[in-house]
Amino acid sequence: MNNQSQSVLKVEHLVKSFGTHQVLKDLDFSIKPKEVVCIIGSSGSGKSTLLRCINGLETKTCGNIYFHGEKLGSGSKELNKFRTQVGMVFQSFNLFNNMTVLQNCMTGTTKVLKISKDESKFRAIKYLRQVGMAPYINAHPEQLSGGQKQRVAIARALTMQPEMLLFDEPTSALDPEMVGEVLQVMKQLADGGLTMMIVTHEMGFARDVSTRTIFMDNGYIVEDDIPQNIFSHPKNPRMQEFLKRYIKNLDNK
Amino acid sequence: MEKGLLYWIGYILEQYWPYFIKGMFVTLWISILGTLLGYVLGFLTGLVQSTPVSQEDSRKKKVVYGTLKLICKVFVAVFRGTPMMVQAMVIYYGLKTSGVDISPFTASILVLMLNTGAYMAETVRGGIISVDKGQLEGGFAMGMSHSLTMFTVVLPQAFRNIIPEMVNMFLTNLKMTSELNVIGVAELYFTTKTAAGTYYRYFEAYIICALIYFILCTFFTNLLSYVEKKTFVNKDYELAVEYMDNAE
Repeated sequence: MNNQSQSVLKVEHLVKSFGTHQVLKDLDFSIKPKEVVCIIGSSGSGKSTLLRCINGLETKTCGNIYFHGEKLGSGSKELNKFRTQVGMVFQSFNLFNNMTVLQNCMTGTTKVLKISKDESKFRAIKYLRQVGMAPYINAHPEQLSGGQKQRVAIARALTMQPEMLLFDEPTSALDPEMVGEVLQVMKQLADGGLTMMIVTHEMGFARDVSTRTIFMDNGYIVEDDIPQNIFSHPKNPRMQEFLKRYIKNLDNK
Repeated sequence: MEKGLLYWIGYILEQYWPYFIKGMFVTLWISILGTLLGYVLGFLTGLVQSTPVSQEDSRKKKVVYGTLKLICKVFVAVFRGTPMMVQAMVIYYGLKTSGVDISPFTASILVLMLNTGAYMAETVRGGIISVDKGQLEGGFAMGMSHSLTMFTVVLPQAFRNIIPEMVNMFLTNLKMTSELNVIGVAELYFTTKTAAGTYYRYFEAYIICALIYFILCTFFTNLLSYVEKKTFVNKDYELAVEYMDNAE
């Protein structure tokens, strides 16, 4: 029980500035095991920057991040170890263009976790199967569609067997037909009990799949609640305004 | 009766063909060895120059990279900022006067290597920049270190992008070796000069010389583009049917 209540990730007083422009303004929150947290908000509200600060792709200006109660240092060794446990999926996939699908899914396990080739391949295929991409192991990224690429990227992140995955607008670069296949994979992962933090513009997904939704505006967390409350009874006027634009789409679904 | 152009070309070739062949091979050796070594030097220099050093890095790393970067910067500036012919003179006679006795051949390779290295450094830097930043981030997100990501992901792609420029550099070098005759290395231009001087037949001798350079360059252009095509052809992939169970 104690384990359940303890947070996987805790963010304290997180501030990020680009020059004089403050993008994240003193954020505090924590993520518990098996939570699926969707972060919504308009463009420029700092959602992506938040994710990038968490796994160190952007250097935070101040604030602390705790992983299982332990403060994350700024050393590169520590950061790299943290990144093997908290994976990330990008809007632009970032699959390695010089490698096949299988090699993409084996690089992390063989080179970072130092797992044997056989074991790595077994793992890679296991997760590629899970996302329905196993038959494409010999393809190069440029030979795949956007949706396929993103599914491979998810499988690649899973091969590290992370405790938590960060998704940075995983469907924003996809055309509408391919959004579904990626969201389906993500829903599967959520149902499987993976802890996830997802920056998304897919309101339907946030409402139906997330266990918690965070609304960000202008660098602040404006609302942080279960999706039922956020989507049905938004308290904040900014949130109401934001949702109005999506309500039509939601009702149609 | 005045003897014609073809007669003299024939005559010079007959008398001097072993020298032309020898000169050709010296040219080839200098340009191949000098260029290859230059590629290596250029890669190292380019790598040092594109390694980011941030505020949080250790003091030791900052000092080491700071010094290396400065050395590389000076090296590139000097060798791109002076003519190769002058570099050859300075290095060859400079070494001679300071007691290091190297053959003109070795000096030629050294000069070509340094020259190629300086240009190559910039090419490599450009190649690294041309690779999407997301590739690095993709590696970082799996806990890969900067150097590991560079070597497994970014450099192979950068290399692919700069191959045409590398081929270009080799062809330029093949011709630029002619400048090295100033330090008395018996490459193709030097042997031609000797042959031409013997009979006072400059035009004919240099026609032969030009033809040999042209043949060499054309040969390597075709060979290298053939190799490039063969190596980097993107083959169609085959579906791994054994994993078709839950494919869409």
